[in-house]
Amino acid sequence: MDPAMGMGLVALMGAAATVAGCSEDLESDIGSQSNPNSQVQLAAQVGYPHRIFNKAISGEPPSNAMYCAVGAGVAMVLMSESVMSASPLIAIAIGAFVAALLNGVFSTTSYLGRNASQTRFNQYVYLDVLRNQILSIMGHAYIATFCIVLISYVMWNQNLIGHPFPFPVIALIWGLCVGAIGSSTGDVHYGAEREFQDFKFGSGLNAADSGNITRFAEAGVRSSMDNAWFCSKFGGPATGIAFGMVVFLDNWRSTAFTEVLNGWGAVIAGLLIVLLLVVYNRKIETYARKKYGPFPEYAGDIEA
Amino acid sequence: MSAGGPGGEAASVETANQVDAKGIGIGLVGIYIAAIAADADIPYLIFLAGIGAVFATKMGADAVRRVCSYGIGTGVPSIGMLALGMGLISAMFGLAFGAMIGVSYVGPIVGLVLAIAIGFVVGTLANKIIKLNIPVMERCLMEIAGAGVLVLTGLSVMIAGSMDFVVISEKVITTGYIAPVFILGALGILHPFNASLGPDETQDRTMVHALSCGAIAMMIGGVCSIAVIDPVAGIISTVIGLAIWYVTFMGFVKLVKRDAGAGWVGTGLLPPGAM
Amino acid sequence: MSDITIVGMLMDNLPSIIGIIIGGICIAVGVHFVPVGGAPAAMAQATGIGTGTVQLAAGSGLTGLLAAGYMYMTLSAAGTPGITEIVLICATGAVGAMIMITVTMLVGNWVYIYGVGVPPASAKRDYDPITGDPQAPYVAPGTVGQGIPTVCFVSGAIGGLLGGLGGSLIYCMLMWVNGDPAISSIFAIGVFLVNAVLPSYNIQGTIEGFHDPKFKRLPKAILACFIASLLCGIIAVTIPSVAMLTGGS
Repeated sequence: MDPAMGMGLVALMGAAATVAGCSEDLESDIGSQSNPNSQVQLAAQVGYPHRIFNKAISGEPPSNAMYCAVGAGVAMVLMSESVMSASPLIAIAIGAFVAALLNGVFSTTSYLGRNASQTRFNQYVYLDVLRNQILSIMGHAYIATFCIVLISYVMWNQNLIGHPFPFPVIALIWGLCVGAIGSSTGDVHYGAEREFQDFKFGSGLNAADSGNITRFAEAGVRSSMDNAWFCSKFGGPATGIAFGMVVFLDNWRSTAFTEVLNGWGAVIAGLLIVLLLVVYNRKIETYARKKYGPFPEYAGDIEA
Repeated sequence: MSAGGPGGEAASVETANQVDAKGIGIGLVGIYIAAIAADADIPYLIFLAGIGAVFATKMGADAVRRVCSYGIGTGVPSIGMLALGMGLISAMFGLAFGAMIGVSYVGPIVGLVLAIAIGFVVGTLANKIIKLNIPVMERCLMEIAGAGVLVLTGLSVMIAGSMDFVVISEKVITTGYIAPVFILGALGILHPFNASLGPDETQDRTMVHALSCGAIAMMIGGVCSIAVIDPVAGIISTVIGLAIWYVTFMGFVKLVKRDAGAGWVGTGLLPPGAM
Repeated sequence: MSDITIVGMLMDNLPSIIGIIIGGICIAVGVHFVPVGGAPAAMAQATGIGTGTVQLAAGSGLTGLLAAGYMYMTLSAAGTPGITEIVLICATGAVGAMIMITVTMLVGNWVYIYGVGVPPASAKRDYDPITGDPQAPYVAPGTVGQGIPTVCFVSGAIGGLLGGLGGSLIYCMLMWVNGDPAISSIFAIGVFLVNAVLPSYNIQGTIEGFHDPKFKRLPKAILACFIASLLCGIIAVTIPSVAMLTGGS
């Protein structure tokens, strides 16, 4: 393949991945999926019933792997010659739509199921909460799935990158990856900051306050849509950058340096990237320590 | 993640043995009728393999429910991933073994027995070496891995329209349809309990939910099979999956209404005392 | 077709079984290196990445597997890859996983530092073993640390390396046996998951990295994963490829 074309594809994949990551994180923030979910689940048990959407679909990585694998599977059915030889873009769009429908079904059952299992704590099943948020959750899931299935298609297509794995398997792996990234980056913004906004900025959740999530908004009772509004300012885009960086850097080093030193060029380039990231991380770590300083409540005898 | 009553056994209406008997029985019968009919040139009965997978899903979900009512440390999903990983390898080995000795019909049974054996070994490893000390660990891993084999075999047979490893390999694995089957099978086993986590979880609600998740897997499997076998047979599987899903989903909603009682509200502020 | 026997295949593929076991153990060790704080970390209540062990290990290891799969295809154009090529393939996979996990940790730290406003700190040690920075004064009250300090970051990179290496090695070994990327990739995912879950039970879901006292439990996980991968390996290498069943070999 022409190198310029290869670079173009890598850039396209990176861009699609950025959108996918951002959308995936907002989807999980509206639904309170993944780890912050534990606090939403705990809240009612410790006496704080709420109107936050509570969904848990077997952890973020498997559920995203499911949407992407299903989206790719359906797209592949539509593209196959024995069915309708649909054009890839239409096939991927329909596949992502089917995946979004599944997302809606799984989200609905987990909202209903989890709240019904907490009846003794006065946690109600609010049908309007379900109706208001579900379309937004499905919409974000659609965008994320569409982009990831698109990336997988570009990787799999024999005329483009030509990866040997089957199309749905590639989508499954990227789905797992985006879920893992989303739950380790963007969800922290939701779990550590937005869920506990009543508390002073600049520290994690004190274990004594577990379950005391912020349930009231500027006016009235807080809804999950407010959480998406907040997280779309930082957590979502950060997740997008993370996933975009993974897809871009990983493909860039394999596309650009595979010919160098019989393939070892790609390995060395990758190691250099890792080294740079370690150094950069050290930079922001020292920045944070200097800027914020030690916690004033600290009473031990270790010099800061 | 042990909100379902930490450290105790989950309350059950249907005993584990009953669920297992139904899961393995209906699972195997469904897969065999489907495969024998397909070999006799009647592809339209292939949906029965999917129905077998639906009941196997229920069996796996019940095992997850029992093991996860003990705290297992890393959340509900990991145990299903473990079991499905073993189930995937065993299921394919069973089918390949059938092809090697030239009798493809032994496939599902070999896979099932093997998965149960590996489930036992891994459960023992987890309890004895890693010292998790969960009394039902061995049994539940055996059940989840067995359910995984039946789900994967059932759906693969349904998509490929045959029990022959060569056909399955070509139509399900090389095309990659194994990926949605694998992850939907896993979620079907994991999601029902995970989605009903809480002290007021009831077995019948979780089990109806398991059937509906299994039906979703069957539906998507049916869609995939449209591309590789007789389209009519694929559409039959899809429509039957859709019908089972609709019935069980409505049943689930009804049970949620029952369990939520006065808490099932159209809208409203927080309950009295919480505002 | 009758000349394919299980014993024969086991004998022929002994190196592959050994490779799968080594790969499985690499994954088990790698899981112990990855600093995961589980659910508390997502509330900045514990040091480490705020997600589950299995998910993160799988996410990074399988990203590496994608890179390894592509490299295997490129190299196998010149014939079946030998040992030197396998080393390169595994290195590619390992670096792919490292990139995934370091990017995740870096952006995770952005969120902790800029979004939550906390300096990364570990509560398991008073001083960071690599940089020597004091940790305890920077741990927020009522928590057991937050964010990903340098020692956890380096540990995580090593974990990603081992996870990616293990996954790629298993894939290469399966490719030797059946030569079909589809079967090999899906089996590699299966073996990977088994070997990622068992160690995560061993550390009970959370660990900070190689400086964590829980790291001493490593031998138990290695033993458990040795047995589990031996079983998986024996089964996986006896599954013949379609070409062997139809073309006859």
